[in-house]
This record gives sequence, C-alpha cells and structure tokens, in this order.
Amino acid sequence: MSLPSEYLNERNALEREILKHRPSDVLQFSYNHFSKRLESQRQEFILGQRHSSESGTGLSNPFGGTSAPSNKKVMNSTIREEEEHDDFASPTATSFPPNARDNSNNMASNSSGGGGFGNFGNFGFSPSSGSSSNPPPAASSGAMEHPQSFPNNYNMNRRTSVSAESLAPTSADDSNWKAPQYPKTADQVNRLRDAVAHNFLFSHLDDDQTAQVLGALQERKLPTKDMRVITQGEEGDYFYVVEQGQFDIYVSKSGKVEPGADGMGNKVATNGPGTSFGELALMYNAPRAATVVSTEPSVLWQLDRVTFRRILMDSAFQRRRMYESFLEEVPLFSSLSNYERSKIADALETTKYPAQTPIIREGDVGDKFYILESGEAEVTKRGEAKPLKHYGKGDYFGELALLEDKPRFASVTSTTEVKVATLGKDGFQRLLGPVESIMRRDDPRKNEKK
Amino acid sequence: MAPAIVQNISSRLHRMSQSAADKENYTQREDEKTKLAEWEAEKRTLEPNEVAQSPDEKPVGHSSKYLRREDFDLIKTLGTGTFARVWLAKIANRKEKDNNKVFALKILRKVDVIRLKQVEHVRNERNVLASVAGHPFITTMVASFQDSDTLYMLLDYCPGGEVFSYLRRARRFNEATSQFYAAEIVLILEFLHDRQGVAYRDLKPENILIDADGHLKLVDFGFAKKVDNSKNIFGAVLNFDADTKTGETYTLCGTPEYLAPEVIRNTGHGTAVDWWAFGILIYEFLVGQPPFWDQNPMKIYEQIVEGKVRYPSAMSQDARDIIGGLCTVDVSKRLGNVKGGSATVKAHPWFKNIDWDAVYHRRMQGPIVPHLKSADDTRNFDEYDAEPVHRDPYTKELQSKYDQSFADF
Ligand SMILES: Nc1ncnc2c1ncn2[C@@H]1O[C@H](COP(=O)(O)OP(=O)(O)O)[C@@H](O)[C@H]1O
Ligand SMILES: [Mg+2]
Repeated sequence: MSLPSEYLNERNALEREILKHRPSDVLQFSYNHFSKRLESQRQEFILGQRHSSESGTGLSNPFGGTSAPSNKKVMNSTIREEEEHDDFASPTATSFPPNARDNSNNMASNSSGGGGFGNFGNFGFSPSSGSSSNPPPAASSGAMEHPQSFPNNYNMNRRTSVSAESLAPTSADDSNWKAPQYPKTADQVNRLRDAVAHNFLFSHLDDDQTAQVLGALQERKLPTKDMRVITQGEEGDYFYVVEQGQFDIYVSKSGKVEPGADGMGNKVATNGPGTSFGELALMYNAPRAATVVSTEPSVLWQLDRVTFRRILMDSAFQRRRMYESFLEEVPLFSSLSNYERSKIADALETTKYPAQTPIIREGDVGDKFYILESGEAEVTKRGEAKPLKHYGKGDYFGELALLEDKPRFASVTSTTEVKVATLGKDGFQRLLGPVESIMRRDDPRKNEKK
Repeated sequence: MAPAIVQNISSRLHRMSQSAADKENYTQREDEKTKLAEWEAEKRTLEPNEVAQSPDEKPVGHSSKYLRREDFDLIKTLGTGTFARVWLAKIANRKEKDNNKVFALKILRKVDVIRLKQVEHVRNERNVLASVAGHPFITTMVASFQDSDTLYMLLDYCPGGEVFSYLRRARRFNEATSQFYAAEIVLILEFLHDRQGVAYRDLKPENILIDADGHLKLVDFGFAKKVDNSKNIFGAVLNFDADTKTGETYTLCGTPEYLAPEVIRNTGHGTAVDWWAFGILIYEFLVGQPPFWDQNPMKIYEQIVEGKVRYPSAMSQDARDIIGGLCTVDVSKRLGNVKGGSATVKAHPWFKNIDWDAVYHRRMQGPIVPHLKSADDTRNFDEYDAEPVHRDPYTKELQSKYDQSFADF
C-alpha cells in the first residue's frame, strides 16, 4: 500500500537537491546524486567496519552510540591506543603517566563521579611552600618543557558546560560596591601572599588587585577537631588558606560522602599552615572533589567566588575606563569611534619605570605612543637648562611616532616612579589599519579649508 | 508508543473541555501546525539579508501564543545537555502525509532554569535563535512557546547527530574533513559576530550537529549573547556585556577545555572568545583531544592562561599556524579579532582550497552524509535514561517572582 519510508526519505533528499540546484538535465543530476549517496554510504560502512571490528562490538550502526551521559553504556572501542599508521601522533604518545593505560579501559566509570573529571583532581589542594610532606606541584613552566604533564588518559565523554553567577560591573556612576577588607597584621598578609603565590589565579594579579584580594580574605575559626570544612560532592563557594592547625583530606571513590563510618573514603593527605584548598570554587560552583576535616582547633582564611571575581572584573573595568578617558583627550585620536578607541584601550601595555629613568630619548627614532598612568615625568631638551614641560597623570606623549618615523624631538624622564601605558605603531596597525588613513579621515587641515 | 497514545487521548479530552475562546485558539493552533508541516517539507534556508529580517517577517522564529505541548508527540530523547532535554517530536494527531514531518523539541523546566541560575541565559537563547533563524548552518528555531511551568523551543531535527560522536568514533579527522567542517564554522562565527553582534561562547563538538545533507548545524545557544559593538562603552574586543544601565551582566561560562584565557581571568570578554575556542576545536578535530587537558580542571586553566600549545610532529605547518593564531592569549593579537576580523581567518593558508561562496550555498559535499531509513531515524543518537519522575514543583512563590522574566518567551 504505502511506499517504504526509506525510499520516501531518499526521494525527499533528491527533491530537495533538485529544488536547490534546478538542473537542466534531471536524469544525469539524479544519477550523480545517487552515485554520491552510494559512495558516501560505502565509506561510512567501511569506516564503521574498521571500528567495530577493533572493538569487537559489531554494532549495526557504524556511527551511533559513543557514550551516553547516563554512563550506563560502556564506551565502545574508541579509546584505543594509537594505531600504528595514524597520521598524527597523540600529543601524549611518547609519555604515559603511570596509570594512564589502566584508565583508558574504564573511562566511563572514571567519569561517573560527576563533572567529567577525575575525582581528586577536581579538588586542587596545594602544599605549602615550606612543607616537605607533599611534593610541590609541577611548576607552571608550561607543557613544552614537561611533556609528562600531558595526560594520555583523556576523558572521552561528553563535556558539560559550566557557568558562574552573573556579575554586573560596577559602573562609574553607581560605584557603591567595595571589596570587603578584613584587618590583618603585616605578618599575616605576608603569609597569605606566600600561600597563594604559586597559584596562577593570584600570580597574574597586579599590586592593587593583590592587596584587595588579600584584604578580602576573612578569618574563620574552627574551635574543635572533626569539623568538616568542605564536603565532597557538595557545591562550593569558598577558597581556603590554612593559618593554623591541621586538616585531613579524604576522597571517596563514589564522588560523594557515603553514609557510615568510612563514608568519607580514604585519607589522601594532611595539610598544615600555609596550604590552601578549594580553589576551583573561585571559578564556578563545581562539586567539591574531596572532604576536608580539622584534626585540631584551627584557623582558616576564606574567600568567596563572587568577591574574588568582582575584584578582578571591576579593576579590569576601571582600568579600561581610565584608558578610554585618557585616549579621548588625545587630539590625534579624536576622529576615532568609541569602538576603535576601546580597541586601542585593549591593546595598551603597562610598563613601570623607577624615578629618574629616561622613557624617551631625544634623537632616537620612536615607534611608540605613551600615556602617563601614574607618577610624574619631565621633558628636557639638550641645550635647554630647564625642563620644557612637566607631565602628570593622564598626560600623553610620543603620539607623532605613530604617524612618521622622525627622531624624538626631546627626552622624557620620570621624576617619580611612573606607570605608563604604551602602544606601538605595529600594534595600532594590527587593530585599526594604517594610522595615516585613519587620521586622514579627520585631518585638521582639511577642516580649515572648508 | 503507548505513552504517546495516552498523551493523545488526554489531549483530546483536554480539548473537549475547552471554552469558546479556546475554540478560537484551536483554529489558530491548527493553522500553526499546518504551517509547521509545510515549513518542514522544504526546510528552506535563507539568504543573509533574509535572515536579518525581524522575526515577525520571517517564516520561522516567532514566539507562539497558540502552540502547546499537546500539539506534539514526543518520540524519543535525542540528547540531554547541561540544562535541557531534547526530544524527537512529531505533530500530534497528524495527517498521514505528515507522518514524516519531524522536529526536535528542546524542553526546559522553569524550576531547573531558576535553580541553575540560567534565567537570563535562556532568554538570550530564545532571542538569539529567533534573530538567526534561517541561517544555513545554525539550527532553525521554528517557534518557541511555553506553559505554566515549562519552556519549549521547536527546532529543525538534525538527523546526523553530534560531530562529537563521529569524532570520538573516528578518533580524529583528517585534514580535508577538518577543513570542511572548520570552514562552515567560520561562516557561522562571521555571521554571528559581524552581522548579529553575537558571541556564541560554547563552541565544542557536542554542540555541532550534522544535518540530513551532511552539513553542519550549530545548536545550543544557551550562552549566546548580543554584545553590541558599535555603541557600547566597553568595546567589542573586551566586552562586559554591553550597557550596564540596562542591568546587563557578565558571566563566566563555557566548557572547561574550551574557555578562553580572558574568561578565566575575568578581565571581560567578547566575540574573541569564539575564535579562541575555534582554535581548540580545529586542534581537537586533527588530534582527537584538545590541547589543554588535565584531570584537575585548575591545571587546565593554568595551561590555558599560559597558552603554550604543543603540536604533534606530524601536524602540517599551516594547521599549526592557524591554531597558534587563534589560540593567542593576547586578544589584541588573536587571529579573527585583529583588523579584518573573520576575513583574516578565511584568508589563512590552511583554508586556501576553500571556495567560500560554495560553502555558504552548501554546494560542497560533506565528508559524512547520514544514511537514514526514514525521516524519524534516530540511529545517530545515543540512548538516554528516562526523565526522572520526581520533579521540583514550580511553586506559586517562584511563579510570582520569575514569570515576568519568561513573559515574552
Ligand atoms: N535540533 C536538534 N536535532 C537533533 N538533536 C539535537 C538538536 N538540538 C539538540 N540536540 C541534541 O540534544 C543535545 C542537548 O541539546 P543542547 O541544546 O545542547 O542542550 P543544553 O543547553 O542542555 O546543553 C545536543 O547535544 C544534541 O545531541
Ligand atoms: Mg549543549
């Protein structure tokens, strides 16, 4: 009675193609269409054969069913080691971490704890710089020099997205948010600084940001032993640094604390003063990867994610605002749109100079433009006894170097410690194209003629 | 199919008890369903200028006041992402000839959306999908609708499944396959960034599907966001999500291995994050796993911020060069984000064999064309657990607090 659905499907596909291409020779077109279909089906089939014979699971479907997030179905076959004739060696082919081979066979169970990551790894506790009980983490010197830091046991499952709470930048007109500041002794501040120094989330901060972040760490007292600070599997909002006392760290294989006496799993480490834990919570609220329990009365410093990210965001935002307002004052840039100016603000690089350091030397060929972000500087010229000019915050110089390769007309020397934001000619061109053509849009001489 | 039958019966009963006003709606609904079936038959993609029309003028992408959950039979779960469940769906009580008309229905429970703090994101998702509907490489949202506790997005069904599945199965793609898929994605990003001012923010093989003809369709606009380039005060390159006065906000979001350094460091971000992720994607296509990985996510982030990509020795120079250009930590030097934008990516030597016009008009034959037994064939999708029976209720309290936010869904 009715035509087979497979046929209807093929026919629909052909009709769509015909509608799209409107061929003059319909028969030849249809022939070509079906021959392409046949060819690609064969290819799919052959590829499927190869893989299913490797895995030994002769699936009827050559492509479907890799791994279901339910983890009910065990991955079939794709996580084999490198085939000999592969075009690309895996980035990790040369080096296997000790357990990699085992892991590759039970990837599905490996990820069942949640998040798609190994359990303990999710936790990221870090040893204190002085302690010898834990090996120091591999320094962040980059994977290039440390091929072994490339794990081969890549998790082949679907990856879930993460997202943290939305933050609205504190805009200049309603800037009522201020990072909380909890008083600390100079000693405490120094200890905290050391404790977070090796952590990349902190090592990238500038002095201002660091001061704000350290100030925002809040004391938390744990009056007895056996108090749980964080619990594996629960969502986390805080990062902690140990000030005083000792903490045991437990990891349960199931990814969360189970009922019963051994429910927290195995003890994997003990952390003392100067160590920190729970840093992933500073990014988003992922489930905790371990349980941490006090073993004596102790003191911690804690910092929550929203405060931390706010500090980072607001300071980046304020710096942009500052740069943009400086740039607005530069006549050379007056023809730029806000968008273009903000692109420049983006590309500015900050450099610090101590007092009495030459920033620009008279006679040198310049290729950079400077804005004085903080501090003071003076302009001098050979043969002139007195400085020609003094520069303060927001003043700019050297902008003509973006236009022409002339020697610098005078020298600029810092009189106090200064911070300058700079942009080179090449950087400018990369962002906006040739400087001259941009400037020509609004050449003052052109306007005068009108 | 038993549950479907039960649903049909109950929806019929439901309909019989309807008032006069609802009867009028009933004709409207039938009307909409007919239009859906008609659209499905052709699935015509639009030219760039047609896509740009307002959703009211396009055949697709509107918010329907009439469609309901009962207008569809849910056949099978196609996927469960981070926040939603997506079903293969057919029109309920369909005519025989509409038996082969299929859709994907993305279902989000309002309680979950609220619990996972995705209210703003879901609104963005609907609005962006509406404004891009019709693009050849983006899943078409035919319509959206809601009921008291649930949000629905009716999408075109992409029967090829996720590129993710093919990639894991094949281990890695050869250079030609990678180039083909990458080229279609460049056109998507070009369109989203340059024409729509939208940052996508969750590029990864799991969110890229293959349609019946073997071409790509980008799905999951859950993190997509308009970032107005022209008049915003933060700039496009480094964007804190447009105007603060309208209460817009900034969020860390994405997938760990694909996060751009500026997202991790929270210094503000914009469309440049997609070019970073695009570099990671090409790498994963060619190598079989992304360049930055560790069991411990913090170690991934540390590597990302460091930004040193290590290439297998056999990778071609052009491939290294394009990945290196895209995965550049400094956004002012990142390929795709420098002067010239997406055109500089298209002009890269790795794409030298690509005819970009042919790509847009789908004249190139894709390396994988799904072979299906019927329009509703789901062989390219995995099996998923049934939906949990227990559901947190969407309480009156939540309703009064949040329903306003969902009003125009
Ligand atoms: N239009 C579609 N056709 C077929 N399958 C789809 C479609 N849209 C989504 N899916 C499947 O559902 C999964 C989850 O959808 P997605 O939109 O990514 O949800 P989430 O926002 O929860 O991540 C996808 O990864 C894909 O497998
Ligand atoms: Mg998804």
